[in-house]
Amino acid sequence: MFETRRLSSKIILQVILTIMVLPFLFPLIAMVQESLSGQGWGNYKAVWATGVVPQFFRNSAIIALGVIIIVYCLTMLAAFGFSKLHVRWKEIFFWMMLAALTLPEVVLLTPLFSIAIHLGLFNTYFSVILPLAALQIPFAVLLTRNFMNSIPDELFDAARVDGANAAVIFRRIILPLTRPIAAAIIILTLIAAWNDYLLPLVFLQTPSTQTITLLPSFFVSEFSDDQTKVVASAVITAIPEIIAYLCLQRLFERGLTAGALK
Amino acid sequence: MTSTEAGTTVSITRQPNAAAGRAAPKGRRRGPRRPLGLPWILPAFIFVVGFIYYCIGYTGYISTLNWDGVSPNPQHVGFANYTQAFHDPVFWATIRHTIIFFIVTFTVQTAIGFIFAALLHSKVKLPNLYKVIIFIPVVLAPATMAPIFRQIFSANGQFNTILSDIGLGSLAHPWLAQSSTALPVIMAITIWEWTGVTFILYFAAMTQIDKEILEAARIDGANGLKVLTRIVWPNVRGTTIALAMLSVIGALKTFDVPYLVTLGGPNYATEFLGTFIYRISIPQAEVGYGAALSILLLILSLAGAVAFGLRGTRRS
Repeated sequence: MFETRRLSSKIILQVILTIMVLPFLFPLIAMVQESLSGQGWGNYKAVWATGVVPQFFRNSAIIALGVIIIVYCLTMLAAFGFSKLHVRWKEIFFWMMLAALTLPEVVLLTPLFSIAIHLGLFNTYFSVILPLAALQIPFAVLLTRNFMNSIPDELFDAARVDGANAAVIFRRIILPLTRPIAAAIIILTLIAAWNDYLLPLVFLQTPSTQTITLLPSFFVSEFSDDQTKVVASAVITAIPEIIAYLCLQRLFERGLTAGALK
Repeated sequence: MTSTEAGTTVSITRQPNAAAGRAAPKGRRRGPRRPLGLPWILPAFIFVVGFIYYCIGYTGYISTLNWDGVSPNPQHVGFANYTQAFHDPVFWATIRHTIIFFIVTFTVQTAIGFIFAALLHSKVKLPNLYKVIIFIPVVLAPATMAPIFRQIFSANGQFNTILSDIGLGSLAHPWLAQSSTALPVIMAITIWEWTGVTFILYFAAMTQIDKEILEAARIDGANGLKVLTRIVWPNVRGTTIALAMLSVIGALKTFDVPYLVTLGGPNYATEFLGTFIYRISIPQAEVGYGAALSILLLILSLAGAVAFGLRGTRRS
């Protein structure tokens, strides 16, 4: 955007950029520093020695995986129906689903609480997986429908002339062609499920089901006045997220821009 | 949470046009009749609509009760919970905080995100390194970052150390313990967390701008700043509107950061609708009042989305 033919202007741009990025880097550096103050690596050893960290990770992984599977399956089916098949009052169905898009999850707390108690789901993975999936699907369907609309109808009609029914077309044509948007949806759902705090806070009450977002609170009660160990536990939970992002950088960024780009 | 909605708003604002344009000709199509799609959409529809609409209906019903959530015979009170909300100074404080929060975080994120995107489109060295640094906060859970932010802004935290290092030691104070500075800190943390999304959306929008227009402007003698304000900024307006809507919904949904960093305090200075509803419904078990507040929040979110959505479609 800025023209940078001269060396001096190149350097100025680079310096501005570097100064602007420092505040974004600072909390991450402070975090690592803080986690190493006091007993140094001993903080990490103490956190690891409690033995609960892998458990919290496992719980987060199970919940994220459950949400992803539900969202992926229901979204692909629904988006295909909305985009390529004949549905009466299609737009009414569609908008009824989309209205759920703006819904803050805190609004669902009380009813979810009573459902969870009645169905015996309290303190189980399902009490978090089901609402998270229900909240993710509307957006996923919106993105996938838009994406499928760009697949030419002729392709679909030709397959039908050749005798393929909807299920075959879905499996052989739609699923392979929608891989890019499916990847974006899986990443978006992963971030949302992995980082969610409120639902686990309310519905998961024991370390055997709790997710990594509850790990800092768990260690606050474990190491009451030792902030450095709490921060060390936060670093441990942050590292896999950063690694996942660095490995799948393109997918993460594309996932977030999926809706913005036609 | 909000990360998932990054692109949402863009699509919403486009949807009415797109839907109207496509649905009409499809109905009148000649050729083989399309297979029925209802069985395909029903699983998702029943799951989402059944679940969420049931929950909303149930919340609406509870909002007319005076109930602690466990007593077997709750008392019907009509709209008393709503009247209570309108007379509750904390409710109005949360509205005020939400508005301030929206205006500040949206403005700052837009400014920083836009400038970052423009700078990274300008052939600087190591662009990916900068990109990664700005984007990492987006993928980290607010819950993971909360302990370190509490530490950074505490009385003997790193922020005060930096202030005294650069000679502004007189400004040092316990940022989170004082009503006047707690809200700005909450906003700063939110900006830190979400500017990556703003940046990445502007960055993507800028790749779509026709290079020839930019070239033509430069040949006509426009400098970098003029190109940015006269050509780039109007060209990414769709993204800006989308981000505004995203920010409105995000502000109304705010929960994690104020709950984890300040617990809504000190003295309700960082209370938001989300933290307020949680406090009323769960620890205080005033379920009826919490439900009434939830319904008000729901109305505000829908109104916010519709207001910005309509604005977006009308102009585009």
